[in-house]
Amino acid sequence: MKIFVNGAATTQFGELWGVSPRSLARGSVSSALKDARIESAQVEALFVGNMLSGMLGGQEHLGAFFAEELGLPVPAFKVEGACASGGLALHNAVNSLLSGQYATVVVLGIEKMTDHKPEDVATALMGAGSEEERNAGATFPGLYAILARMHMNEFGTTEEQLAAVAVKNHYHASLNPNAQFHNLLTVEQVMRSSRVADPLKLLDCSPISDGAAAVVLSTKNIKGSVEVAASVVATDTLGLAQRAHLTQLTATQRAAEKAYRIAGLTAGQVSVAEVHDCFTVAEVLAMEDLGFFPRGKAAAAIEKGETRLGTSAGIVVNPSGGLKGCGHPVGATGVKQVVELVDQLRGSAGKRQVENATIGLAHNVGGSGATAVVHILKK
Amino acid sequence: MSEEAGQPLLYIFLKNNMQSPVKIWRNQKNIASLVGKTGKILSWTIVRVPPGDFTDQAPYPVVLVELESGKRVTCQLVDYDDAHLTFGQRVVTIIRRVTHPDPDGVIPYGIKAKPLV
Amino acid sequence: MIGIVSYGSYIPRCRIPIADIARAWKKDAKEVVHSLGLTDKSVPAFDEDAATIAIESALSCFAPFHGDPTDIDVLFVGSESHPYAVNPTSTIVGELLGLGNAYLAADLEFACKAGTAAMQAIAGLVAAGHAKYGLAIGADTAQGKPHDFLEYTAAAGGAAFLLGSDHVAARLLADTSYSSDTPDFWRRDGMRYPSHAGRFTGEPAYYSHVMGAASRLFEMTGTTAADYDYCIFHMPNGKFPREVAKRLGFSREQLEPSLLVDHIGNAYSATTMLALSAVLDIARAGQKIFMVSYGSGAGSDAFVWETTSELNKIQQVREKKTLRVSDAISKKTYVDYIQFLKLTHKL
Repeated sequence: MKIFVNGAATTQFGELWGVSPRSLARGSVSSALKDARIESAQVEALFVGNMLSGMLGGQEHLGAFFAEELGLPVPAFKVEGACASGGLALHNAVNSLLSGQYATVVVLGIEKMTDHKPEDVATALMGAGSEEERNAGATFPGLYAILARMHMNEFGTTEEQLAAVAVKNHYHASLNPNAQFHNLLTVEQVMRSSRVADPLKLLDCSPISDGAAAVVLSTKNIKGSVEVAASVVATDTLGLAQRAHLTQLTATQRAAEKAYRIAGLTAGQVSVAEVHDCFTVAEVLAMEDLGFFPRGKAAAAIEKGETRLGTSAGIVVNPSGGLKGCGHPVGATGVKQVVELVDQLRGSAGKRQVENATIGLAHNVGGSGATAVVHILKK
Repeated sequence: MSEEAGQPLLYIFLKNNMQSPVKIWRNQKNIASLVGKTGKILSWTIVRVPPGDFTDQAPYPVVLVELESGKRVTCQLVDYDDAHLTFGQRVVTIIRRVTHPDPDGVIPYGIKAKPLV
Repeated sequence: MIGIVSYGSYIPRCRIPIADIARAWKKDAKEVVHSLGLTDKSVPAFDEDAATIAIESALSCFAPFHGDPTDIDVLFVGSESHPYAVNPTSTIVGELLGLGNAYLAADLEFACKAGTAAMQAIAGLVAAGHAKYGLAIGADTAQGKPHDFLEYTAAAGGAAFLLGSDHVAARLLADTSYSSDTPDFWRRDGMRYPSHAGRFTGEPAYYSHVMGAASRLFEMTGTTAADYDYCIFHMPNGKFPREVAKRLGFSREQLEPSLLVDHIGNAYSATTMLALSAVLDIARAGQKIFMVSYGSGAGSDAFVWETTSELNKIQQVREKKTLRVSDAISKKTYVDYIQFLKLTHKL
């Protein structure tokens, strides 16, 4: 049995003061249904990926909440895995189709973060890590900074090379009307931005954003569909102190290996990837963990432009602008990545179009690497 | 959305969660077993943009330490000079207040590390 | 024979020069330093309190101790800055030190003599065979109201003494106490800073009680100042201990090793006990120490200690692990007045 993405859509990502979560959901889901050319009556289940609705908004029970809001009185589920919530919602939706339980489902990834003070959001995001990390005051950037320092020490990765990730992703985002940022960056600007958690600076970090993305998944290969060739989840320890390796995210590595095996592909065959650049260093780690570059070599390759739109080197990474440029409404990201890949594989990505895109890979991570979700899509 | 006497929701959530007397009590044995242990710094950062509970402590270093037993812990580094933020710096675990407590809450004590000179 | 089986000490890392405090208030720095007779005072870290300092002091005390902490039958913590108004510091400390559950715990409070009161009470329990080992801790993060003259001297520190009857490093030869109701310094419940009665804290308070207890102790033991190698007096500032030592007939040489106040200020419940630690760090076997504490309100606890050859083993451990009072005094980082206000939670 094969699984297909029939329809896909995102909302604008950014600081959307006047837009409510209900409005974000309605907008993205109705666009996705329209894109799939189906009626809501055909939807058999709803999967919602979200992390912070409870801690920030006091609202849990999002399955029921959005089922009602969307006029979809069907089985509905909230799926949470920190920043991998969207990817996990997709994975659960895929499984529900593979099980034969449903034939057509909607996946909604959604997050509303700008209603609250940044320090409250930072505190809530620390829920993605371990209690020991919370008690240490280790913010999310702090944890990735600890990883960055190890990678820099082991492989000689430089802060300028990390900055190049942000520069590339802002360039891509400038071509994406839905992205949060449209300004171009230089390495100097990133280097001069204020330090958040040494060595990571403000412009090394993805922003706080609002946004939603939705896809329609089914077992039917209607016109314009893209096949889900693999949907794999891997889990590692919650906290960094319990990890076996600190210069890689093993969960990403394991999820990718299995995904390639299931899809019958190798890393070298991937044309375009949407990876989890919550911080610039995270994209460097992803390049190596996903097998796109040998360990220790990715930073230099990114700096040389080998993963930028227009490259002939083999793979374009984060054409949407990634989390840094497009924005990171936590629960929405994993689904948005798939929406971008669908556009790419359909050939409808406009100025962001990757030439001859046939195989796409979406990489979504929870916390500092405790959960990794890899989806491989095929035209 | 309900709010207690004008307190934001996240504050209530964190107050009840992080400084729950029962949780603090359950964690005592973990803390007692980790104090006075020597180890070395594997990696570190300096948090300059702190979360709400830590605003009055920033900037502060967070270190990943490998104890002599092989166990690793993530904690704050205190009583340090800049020169101590280096790979392999020897440290010892000590007890400090984890955060500045509420005026009417239970005081959370926990593990931090300080350089061994 | 009962006495000190082991001891430990702790002084926080930060210091502020008294002169800097004076300058912050546009006072004549030289005049203030001269009239108070001290140079620096210790400042606790932002995340330290009397409980954490008590734990550090106790861990320092356990370093030379070869016994089992679970054999400690009593733990008293004396402080003027217990973290809670109601909730014992002693059980927080006992739990995190792994003492088990079979011990008597209580908090003592008596201004600067809470720790020595603990020592005297525990000595009694040990002597009566009621406790095999007892741990007395004096620990404080003392606070002075900004611009008040106590701001110059209120400091932080801790000391712990393990009392018992085997492998005694310093025997307790005699002890006494002198108490009266003398309101020289107090803090009402709910008030953040203490108040004091100015010059009344001198003759009718400090001097009368220290000399009252000292005279009684001389009488009980049939001794005079000349019979001792060292003397220790509570140090609310640099002047009072020097003056009272002179009045009691002690020489500068006898007093000098105990004068921590010059470098760290007055660590309240820890002061006299830290001074005893400093003297024990350098004493030889068979030497006699005359020690009198003072706590406002008011009272003085007085002790005569005689060192034994066991002391040398403790000194060696403390030197090897840089746990000596002299090590703690030299391990220092200076902060400015604004940092000082931040660290002591006034900003």
